[in-house]
Amino acid sequence: MEDIIESLKQQIIDSLNLQGMKPSDIDDNAPLFGEGLGLDSIDSLELMVLLERNYGIKIEDAREGRKILASVQTMADFIQANRKL
Amino acid sequence: MKQPLYLISSCSISPQHTYDAGQFLQPVMSCDNGKLFVIDADYAKYISPVAIRRMSRMLKIGITAGMNCIESSGVASPDAIIIGTAHGSVTDMENFLKDMIRLEEQALNPTSFIQSTYNSVNGWIAMMTKCTGYNQTYVHRGFSLELTLLDAQMMLAEATGTKYILAGSFDELTDEYHHIHRKINYFKQETFNSLALFDHYDTPGSIGGEGANFFMLSNEQGNAACAIHTIKMLQKPTSEELIAGINEALAENGLNSTDIDVMMCGMNGDSRSKHLADTLLNSCEPNTTITTFKQLSGEYYTASGFGLWLCDHLFQTQQVPEEIVYRKGSATPIKNTLFCNVTVNGCVSMMVVRRC
Repeated sequence: MEDIIESLKQQIIDSLNLQGMKPSDIDDNAPLFGEGLGLDSIDSLELMVLLERNYGIKIEDAREGRKILASVQTMADFIQANRKL
Repeated sequence: MKQPLYLISSCSISPQHTYDAGQFLQPVMSCDNGKLFVIDADYAKYISPVAIRRMSRMLKIGITAGMNCIESSGVASPDAIIIGTAHGSVTDMENFLKDMIRLEEQALNPTSFIQSTYNSVNGWIAMMTKCTGYNQTYVHRGFSLELTLLDAQMMLAEATGTKYILAGSFDELTDEYHHIHRKINYFKQETFNSLALFDHYDTPGSIGGEGANFFMLSNEQGNAACAIHTIKMLQKPTSEELIAGINEALAENGLNSTDIDVMMCGMNGDSRSKHLADTLLNSCEPNTTITTFKQLSGEYYTASGFGLWLCDHLFQTQQVPEEIVYRKGSATPIKNTLFCNVTVNGCVSMMVVRRC
């Protein structure tokens, strides 16, 4: 799980072009949207593309996606349970 | 007489020091590889860190030029935003197309697609200024800016309460864009110092350029130094049609050729449109100062925006920098300017710009 979290944080930084950020700057449980990293709806689309491209996981239901993309930890849990790549 | 478009403020981000107009041509910037890229401005002044991380170069350039123009005008939010561009954000389009091939049309990133659309700059400026009024983008290659200005002119003449319109244009140069356009002789095969552009009129094409040029237009004079009175477009005119077009534009304003103090000539070094440049130069009276600008901006579909910014700069300063003088005339102060832009495929746009 630790490995997934570390690589996921780096992928998020690269994918969303979070300039000047390091994986250690992102709290595993902090919300990605709103108060935490302050991501927006376009970022959520980018994260869904990230999951599909890097882990072979497609999120079909938007309501489900909101829960999965809540934090790095929830994303990592989802990846561990569903990854195809 | 049609509705004059008063230029309340203007902003240019170009390959020259135009963003800080006080440093204009200090020093003159040139290139030896046929590509004149813009000098970066302080984009973070207008764009938040959260938004800027996703933006490509031209998006940042366009938004910054537009926002700076609005700020200089003293208008909190324009009544309308009208922008012209031939190709929008080329970098985003290239990224999206490359991803389509690389990822075999699966799981494509949305950002480059969203921001490659032609109206991204308008949308961002509208959101940043909370402008919910008319928002339009003209994508008509070499006439994109001219059609933008015509739309603004009609809107301001309609007396619907619209007082301030942000109008402008932007187009981007990338290495790949240059490579492709060089293959079709839009850009020259040979390389040389860009300032020597007009010594190379014997070969087809021009030199690459890019920029974003914005204008706050109004139907009220305010503090404007000048106003656009006539906008004309000629589709691949013959020399005779070009002369007739100039005479018509001048006559609309009760002017004749000796009344023109400065001819701003958008000649581009392309052998295929040399006859038009020659016609323009030969049509000028001895008292008219002839100026050129594409050796400074490079050629791009909306390069006329740089020429129009330069016109406004001349009226504001009442000085003609030596670096843009093709032939010195005698007329001062500057009261009437005829601006003519020649595109690589031989179309011409012209504007009569007059001191307020």
